[in-house]
Amino acid sequence: MGAAGQGVPMSTTGSTTNGPTESRSPGTIDELGGDLAVAALAVARRFSAGATMWCVGPVWTEHARHVAVEFVHPVIVGKRALPALTIDSPDPVAALRPMAASGDVLVLVGDASTPGARDLLRRADAWGLTTVWCGAGDRAPAGSAHHVLWTDGDPAARHDGSVVRLYHLLWELTHVCFEHAAVLTPADVGPGEVCLTCSDEGRPGEVLSVDDQGMAAVRTAGGVETVDTTIVAPVGTGDLVLIHAGTAIAVLDEP
Amino acid sequence: MSDFLYPFLDGVGPDVPALLDDLASSAQAKAAISDALRAETLEREATLITATADAMAARFDAGGRLFTFGNGGSSTDAASVAVLFAAPPRGGPLPARCLADDTAVLSALGNDVGFELVFSRQLIAHARAGDIALGLSTSGGSRNLLAAFREARQRDILTIGFAGYDGGEMARSGDVVHCLVVRSDSVHRIQETQGALAVALWSAVQSRLSRDEAARA
Repeated sequence: MGAAGQGVPMSTTGSTTNGPTESRSPGTIDELGGDLAVAALAVARRFSAGATMWCVGPVWTEHARHVAVEFVHPVIVGKRALPALTIDSPDPVAALRPMAASGDVLVLVGDASTPGARDLLRRADAWGLTTVWCGAGDRAPAGSAHHVLWTDGDPAARHDGSVVRLYHLLWELTHVCFEHAAVLTPADVGPGEVCLTCSDEGRPGEVLSVDDQGMAAVRTAGGVETVDTTIVAPVGTGDLVLIHAGTAIAVLDEP
Repeated sequence: MSDFLYPFLDGVGPDVPALLDDLASSAQAKAAISDALRAETLEREATLITATADAMAARFDAGGRLFTFGNGGSSTDAASVAVLFAAPPRGGPLPARCLADDTAVLSALGNDVGFELVFSRQLIAHARAGDIALGLSTSGGSRNLLAAFREARQRDILTIGFAGYDGGEMARSGDVVHCLVVRSDSVHRIQETQGALAVALWSAVQSRLSRDEAARA
């Protein structure tokens, strides 16, 4: 996958314009339906493999809590209770770092201006999490998350039920996927998943420590790897690097 | 190979594209239902929304404050309503607070006096005559909301309820002066339209307050 997560396979509307989408009438969700379908299948697969869902709303705190309660305590009797937890911290990266594991899911809820969103999503990607960003209004930048679920709307969209509807539908479709056990274990890399075996462009990782020879312990989706950082030196703890063949080939810029 | 991976499908692999198509269609159908319910509810409750907004505006104008509450997903929707009034996307901020926000208070009251009283006891502590109590429930039957509305009525606190289904006990009890009902039996669709009701109400309150201000100027 590419630098800063830009090579992450995107849902269908991920490559559309970043600006307001006035051309789409409110309530028309042809594209969103496809985005939701792909995201729900990815989330269902991750849950089936034992994932925890981390829900973060740095500003839209109420929505993060709503997402977590949806998945933990289903409104429909008989549906599985799934592990979903809200991260209620002014520093969600620091809160998630020791808790989140590769294969988990991060749901970020907030508009495109959510502070810290880019850094959080990039680190979650480097740690091997599947990332979902639900928001409204001006669209989040293409490639900012593996799954971008967006709704049009005026500045009151945070409150008018349209954002709630995004994750209600995500929950509903995720549970439909559970009824189709055969699709839950992908035979190959499915839509929205990251291919780790053809990493020509480099895989992201977070530097844990560096020795004086430039050899670094780097956290990636696959675990902690020893990586030669001499060609991008100096790097420090917390830096995000791109790894190719055991070598750090780039340092991702500060968000 | 697929026999080995998916023996229960008799050698047929999972049809992922077909499932994704089904999921997308399902999402679109649900969104259409949600849109229709929203439009129908806003139209049916238009008169009540205006009357409720007028009553709220009069209370805000006289120094009243808004307290919101609900359980589960509705507690987060109650938080959303409080933020909408207190930190609005446009217009002036109004005093509003969600009574479901504080885990220490909720668990203290739940543990010591029972969960049925977690909101009414907070109204007793915080609210005064002239304030507003707004509770959201999808069933219309949450006992801690009914207890809070009963307490509020005795204290001249304006009672506003958002309910679903047929309005439930909230619509029947007489303690909820303004009860806005989303006539659906889907918890999700009810909550989505309750968001639309909240924005309609807030918008009408803002208009009323600016109209009153202009009239005084």
